[in-house]
Amino acid sequence: MAVFTRTTKNLIIDIDQFLDNVELGLLVFREGIKSYLDKDMEAFVRHLQKVEILEGNADKLQRSIENSMITHSILPQHREEVVKLMDELDEIIDSVKSSLNEIYTEMPEIPSSLNKDLISLAETSANAAEELIPAARAYFKAPYTVREKLLKVYYFESETDKISLNIKKHIFQDMKEIDLAHKAHLRYIIHHIESISDLAQKAADLLSGMAIKIVM
Amino acid sequence: MILFFLTSGLFLGWSLGANDASNVFGSAVGSKMVTFRRAAIIASIAVILGAVIQGSGASQTLGKLGAINAIGGSFTLALAAAITVYVMTKFSLPVSTTQAIVGAIIGWNIFTGNSTDSNTLSKIVTTWISGPILGALFAVLLYILIIRIKRTTKMHLITFESYIRAGLIVVGAFGAYSLGANNIANVMGVFVPALNLEPLDLGLFSLSSSQQLFLFGGFAIAAGIITYSKKVMETIGGNIVELSSEGAMVVVLAQSLVLFMFSSSGFSNLLIKIGLPPIPMVPVSSSQVIVGCVMGIGLYKGARNINFKLLGEIAIGWIATPVLSGLLAYFSLFFVKNIFSIDVGHKINVISQTTDIVAVTAGENVSGIVKYLLFGIIIAGALMIIYYLLLERKKNMDLRQSEEKFWKNIK
Repeated sequence: MAVFTRTTKNLIIDIDQFLDNVELGLLVFREGIKSYLDKDMEAFVRHLQKVEILEGNADKLQRSIENSMITHSILPQHREEVVKLMDELDEIIDSVKSSLNEIYTEMPEIPSSLNKDLISLAETSANAAEELIPAARAYFKAPYTVREKLLKVYYFESETDKISLNIKKHIFQDMKEIDLAHKAHLRYIIHHIESISDLAQKAADLLSGMAIKIVM
Repeated sequence: MILFFLTSGLFLGWSLGANDASNVFGSAVGSKMVTFRRAAIIASIAVILGAVIQGSGASQTLGKLGAINAIGGSFTLALAAAITVYVMTKFSLPVSTTQAIVGAIIGWNIFTGNSTDSNTLSKIVTTWISGPILGALFAVLLYILIIRIKRTTKMHLITFESYIRAGLIVVGAFGAYSLGANNIANVMGVFVPALNLEPLDLGLFSLSSSQQLFLFGGFAIAAGIITYSKKVMETIGGNIVELSSEGAMVVVLAQSLVLFMFSSSGFSNLLIKIGLPPIPMVPVSSSQVIVGCVMGIGLYKGARNINFKLLGEIAIGWIATPVLSGLLAYFSLFFVKNIFSIDVGHKINVISQTTDIVAVTAGENVSGIVKYLLFGIIIAGALMIIYYLLLERKKNMDLRQSEEKFWKNIK
């Protein structure tokens, strides 16, 4: 029984740490984008390294959680979904890392007039994913509150779409001074930032279904 | 010869173990929360303890319905009931060992010209209906309680599930104990008045004749659990698991409480003391009680798709099973008496009913065989448990080693 309790406690700690890593990754992502737009490359590299560490930790924790749940047959009825949720959340931090990496590798030239909009885009997209974390935590402790928490995810996701559309319109319709290749590159970067909120929405859809199932 | 006569009862016990153990551990094993081996060992020990410690109550009620006064009769009745259960199970009809044995006893009463005690019969039939209803009531109350606890404590889902897992083992053990206490009457009840074994002194305690019979019946049920219940648990268990894990635990607990109530003389005496009517000690069908429990929770949760077909089949089973078993018992008794010239019982003098029962008294050599047989089974059981523990230990060690290797490679 003692071994059993220890496994359970360790698993709960692992899940919490995993969610902490994803949450921290999103915070660092915001700061990373800001420092890139401020042309503070030293800070940007520091943030990128931090994200890489967090993503690596999240990967390890995800494997450990999956392993424990299967070997000790924990939550047999919900295991598959919990593992899938961890997978979706891991994809978010993966996307955060790859976005910063793309920026670091490609060094896109961002017109200063777009700075404010891009910060707003990164903020909103990260907010959508951030709001997912309390909902995911609530799934384990108060599943009947999950759906109300998820409303914010859907709100920020739609806001992200609107902001992204406006920026793209602005780039392609108003900014005559930059060439098409540059425009396409900026669109590509915007798409990357935007994808974080899309992934958050995908995870929210899954979590919403999981919450209904567990409350019923 | 006496031991041969017991075989039909043992067969009935085996089929009971194979089918009804899924009612207590099916949800835990079906959801893979408890391994089959662990469930089988716990259920086997608990069922034997229940049968020996608390099996006499329900058995006495069956004795009142018909005191079988020849071991040939007991053999034939148990066989008729076992065949009825087997055939109805084969045709996927809901069947209860309890109803089969009651039908067989009535068949014996008719064959031997004894009257059936309508008071006892009505008591038994009432519990067939009240059992599932009580089960539903208990299940709803327990479900409300457990959901309230879950909500107010805001316990982590994984911690909650770990308690449920431990709960399923404890409740499953209690369920198996109650199953043994209540349903042993179906298996060995018909042999109790007909066979008189010498008390068996085991040093710390001694076993009376009926307790020895119950112990044998308990072993037969345990054998059914170990050898044949795995498949039933994995398939039937899955249906119960469609409920949440806490729902599954509640269902098993509610069913166990109903079985315990109908076999506990202590509880019945308590009710009398506080001025309530006593609970009749009657064997009830665990399968039908569990259907009542599941439906109770379903109704509470607002399910509209109640399976009326299943309810109808159960109601038909209440009539069809005893009738079929009774008819089979009647013709089997006729066959056994006239073809093999074996005494299957005779009319009991109503005035001196208790003194007229001529039980077969086993000689010292039979008691000696019984004693060695019991010791043999106990030693074999103990060896099996040790083997299981060693196997579990090895499995855990292998798992730990593979885990260490995995993480080493990852690093």
